[in-house]
Formats: sequence, structure tokens, C-alpha cells
Amino acid sequence: MSILAIHPGAYYHIETLEAPRYAHYFDRLVRPEDLSGEDLAEHAVVFIPCRTPADRLAPHADQFRAYLDQGGTIVATGETALEVFLHGITFTPQPTNWWWWLTPGADLGVRIASPDHSLFGRLGERDLTWHLHGWFDPPDGSQVLAINGEGKPIFYVDEVTTPGRMIITSLDPCFHHGSHFMPATTRFLDGFLPWMREELDGAPRK
Amino acid sequence: MTILMIQSHYQEPFAMTAPLFADAVASGVMKVVREMELTEEHFDTARGLITTTHLDQIGFQRFSSAVAGFLDRGGRWIHHGHILRPILPGLGTYIPMPQPKRPDFDQTRLHDHPIFAGIDQKKLETNRGVAGFYGRGHNPPPEGAVVINALGSAKIPVDWVWARPEGGELLSHAGNDFWGCGDDPEIKKLLAHRSVAWLSGELN
Repeated sequence: MSILAIHPGAYYHIETLEAPRYAHYFDRLVRPEDLSGEDLAEHAVVFIPCRTPADRLAPHADQFRAYLDQGGTIVATGETALEVFLHGITFTPQPTNWWWWLTPGADLGVRIASPDHSLFGRLGERDLTWHLHGWFDPPDGSQVLAINGEGKPIFYVDEVTTPGRMIITSLDPCFHHGSHFMPATTRFLDGFLPWMREELDGAPRK
Repeated sequence: MTILMIQSHYQEPFAMTAPLFADAVASGVMKVVREMELTEEHFDTARGLITTTHLDQIGFQRFSSAVAGFLDRGGRWIHHGHILRPILPGLGTYIPMPQPKRPDFDQTRLHDHPIFAGIDQKKLETNRGVAGFYGRGHNPPPEGAVVINALGSAKIPVDWVWARPEGGELLSHAGNDFWGCGDDPEIKKLLAHRSVAWLSGELN
């Protein structure tokens, strides 16, 4: 099928979605304001980049729900107020410690919670570790992929709220990668996007 | 005539810049408009314009005529961030520094623009001793632009001001909002205060 990415248009979205490094992972880009003209069911995955303004997606909440109800997959990344337009999201923001890494030997505390998950054939803990913006209380039955230092989920898969699948994280890789600023975020996308293509869009394994 | 600040991010107004501009907003000098509610009429009554790093550069293209008209009338615009969808003839797209090292982030004042005059640029070079927040590349200066601050020995033009031949001025900072950089709260306040004055035409 194909992967549809929502394109909110900030420079870091343009760099992440359009530059040659990752552009081939997105078959189609759609502006939030043009979503109503898009048949989401034609796409195996709808990708929502971090820092997508939630009020630009709120008018499309019912469309997202209908897409999930027919079995679709939404991948949604952080700093996006996901609870505004997706069902089943319970989020607690946390103050971000931008400076944890200045202390020698410091550990932000991010841990992989499901090491056998196929994603972690491509990503290690250091590839998930840059900042923390908050955690989720996922519905019972969700699979938690990664947790913060207090054991709270920051990355999970929800296949219980709807007949479809929501892959949810509070990590914000697109903003930092698109700002040419955080090597871990580029490593994250280097692992996550091929996994998304292979495992969620059914591309042949290379 | 007011300063139009376009709020592109979803969070509450001024979640990122509130203390610095609260007075300007309260006094009516500055008007904050959510980007999705922006109309051409907002530009008609503006004397100054602020766009942030979160600007929807694709959506902003619909205001290319309004922005050009605003500048033609003598308007001043402070633009933050990486230009990837140039909205005016003469502007180019952002060029990141390839694999910058610490000396590449050294900052040098090349022109004493009134917003920066007298401020030690070294105070904006680091946050908590870490360099690289201010800028990591540049928006190419149009012909006739004057470089204000530069990075590294290559003098990468991270800040410049351009007096357009057709009218108006554009100050480009190719990084996070410059009044948020550094560790000195008094310098941040001064930069914000002077920016309001410059955009209002009171600081020249």
C-alpha cells in the first residue's frame, strides 16, 4: 500500500519529510487542511510528525477514528497534544531537562520495555535518548515499547482502543533532526522509518 | 499600526515568549494572531512583523503578495528559523554547516545593528556552556544585505538585515528566536525590548 505523512510545513517538517534522506519513506504528503479530501483507507500508515499543531488536526478527529475503525495504522510522535484528535490518549507532560547530559555519566533513564519487539532490531536505547517531554497511561492491553526513568510509558502500541493500531510516542525526532541538531534523533529516524516501511507497510525485507 | 506576531505553534499564546513581550501585548503595541486565522488585512495595519521558527512556510506562501506589500510600505520583519520556502524574490534556502565543531560556533559582530549594538555577542554564544543553539548555518543574504553576526572563521552570516530596494527591511536570524538565546535574562529582555522598538520604527 503506501504511507501518508501529514505535512504541517515548518522548516523541520520540510527537512524531514522532503529531503532525500527520508523522502522515499513517505509516498504522499498531505497538508492538515487538505485531509478531508484524502481517502485515508488507501494508505497502510498515516504518519503524524512531531510538533504538528493539534488545532490543525482537531477538525479531522472523526476521519482519523473512521480510518482506525476500518483497520488503519496511525503513527504519531511527540509535542503534538495527541489527545486533542485521537481517542484513548492520556498524557502527562513533564518539565524537560535539556541539560541532563552535561553531568558526566548521567543517564536520562529511557529503557526499552519490549526488547523482543521487531523495532528493536533496528533501534537501541541510545537511539531513543535525547529529551523527555512527558508520559502516557496507555489503555490496558497496549504494548509498551519504551519507558522513562520512573517506569512510565513514553512509546507504545495501542491495538485495543480501536480495531486499528496507534503507535504513540512523546519523543520528538522530526523537530531535532530537521533542525540539524541532535544525532540521536537522526539515528532514531534511520531505524524507525525503514521499520515502518517494512513492518507496517509490508515492504519486502531487505 | 501594530507589530504583528504570528503564533505558529499550538501551545497557549506566549508559552515560549510570554514574559518578554507581555508589556507590548498588554499595551496594544503587539498583536498576536494564530497563523491559521491570519488574513491579508492583518498585514494592512501592521508596522512590524515577527515570524517564529515554527512558521508554516508552505501555508505562509498564500500571503506572499501581502508580505511584499507590507514591506513596500516600509514595514520591518524579523524572521527566525531556516528559510526553506522563500517567500520573496532575492531570498534563498537555508544552508546548514556541514558537521560543525565548537570553533565553528564562535560568534563575531560584524555590524552594529541597533538591536544588537553594545551587547557582547559572546553572551549569546552558549547556553550553560554549550554552543550551537544560536545557529548552525545561514539563510543566504540577498544582494545588498548587511551581515550583523557571523559564525566561525568562515564568517557564516547567521544574522543579517536587508533593506529591500522596493522598501521595507527584513532581519533574518537563522536559528531559534534570538531573544531566547544565552543565559543572561537581562540581555534577553533588552533584545526583546529593542526588537519591539525597531519594528515600531522608534529605533533606527
